[in-house]
Amino acid sequence: MTHYYLNIINGTGFVGDHEGEEFPDLAAARRKATESVRSILSDELKSAGLIDLKGRIEIADQQGSIVLTLPFREAVELRLDDSSGWEDA
Amino acid sequence: MIDKQLMKLRVRDDISPEEEQALHDAQGQVIDYPADHTFITAGDELNCSTLLLEGILGRYKDLSDGERQITELHVAGDFADLHSFTLKHLDHNVMTLTPAKIVQVPHEKLKRITEQHPHLARVLWFSTNLDAAIHREWEVSLGRRNALQRTAHLFCELQVRLGIVGLATEAEYRLPLTQVQLAECLGLTSVHVNRVLKELRERRLVEFRSARVKIADLAGLRSIAEFDPAFLYLDRRPR
Repeated sequence: MTHYYLNIINGTGFVGDHEGEEFPDLAAARRKATESVRSILSDELKSAGLIDLKGRIEIADQQGSIVLTLPFREAVELRLDDSSGWEDA
Repeated sequence: MIDKQLMKLRVRDDISPEEEQALHDAQGQVIDYPADHTFITAGDELNCSTLLLEGILGRYKDLSDGERQITELHVAGDFADLHSFTLKHLDHNVMTLTPAKIVQVPHEKLKRITEQHPHLARVLWFSTNLDAAIHREWEVSLGRRNALQRTAHLFCELQVRLGIVGLATEAEYRLPLTQVQLAECLGLTSVHVNRVLKELRERRLVEFRSARVKIADLAGLRSIAEFDPAFLYLDRRPR
């Protein structure tokens, strides 16, 4: 297990993770980061009707080095083009 | 040793010296558990209920992805599974979230209380009804309150529940939980909880740091949480 810290940088500023969490590997930490972005976005969408994809999560190791950056954009799949939608089916 | 259980009951009704003695006599083995220890697993055949003396326990269910949902927290003075007296096995697990001291109360002794002390039995029945009320409030939180309100509501609930047993003031209380454990209560990730905590701090409502909840504005915190303590049945009356 490795201890990683997942810091958020987005419209509300920098939210440092002082506690961190144990993960079997970096891929598991990335999955947790993805889940977290989706959780935050869905909460914002429901509460404020806002989808703000400008943020990112930085995964840091115990030395404080950033080992992976996950832009919010990479945590979701966006479909914006109506022309290929269900209406034509 | 069961002072906090008595404090909790006496907020809601009178407990006579005979009833107090009956509760004392019902105690079995005292056990110290480390943190993060599951001592009741769903399906286990149970012959005693667990009364929490010190620490924090969680009732929880495992999810298929290896995560868990905590469905209720227990603080000192709570029976964690008085319902196991009638259910005999549980549909959920019970674990320590911090180091915890518990006393086992054999179901046989509880049966004797129901036979010899009907009023005390009703007050214990009230306790399981209170647990159900807390579950309903969590159901509303998990289903309808946003992350900020949900977190604020939990801090409000614990302030009242810990206050009853002398472990909280209106300004602060000790809460030695991790952000991961809070997230498991709130149906969020610890990263999301961390962000919510920042917002609560910046709005000068509450601060959670170093195992301590410092409430800067209790009225404001209750207001954004839409917290109404009525579900904790704080009125003292014959039951």
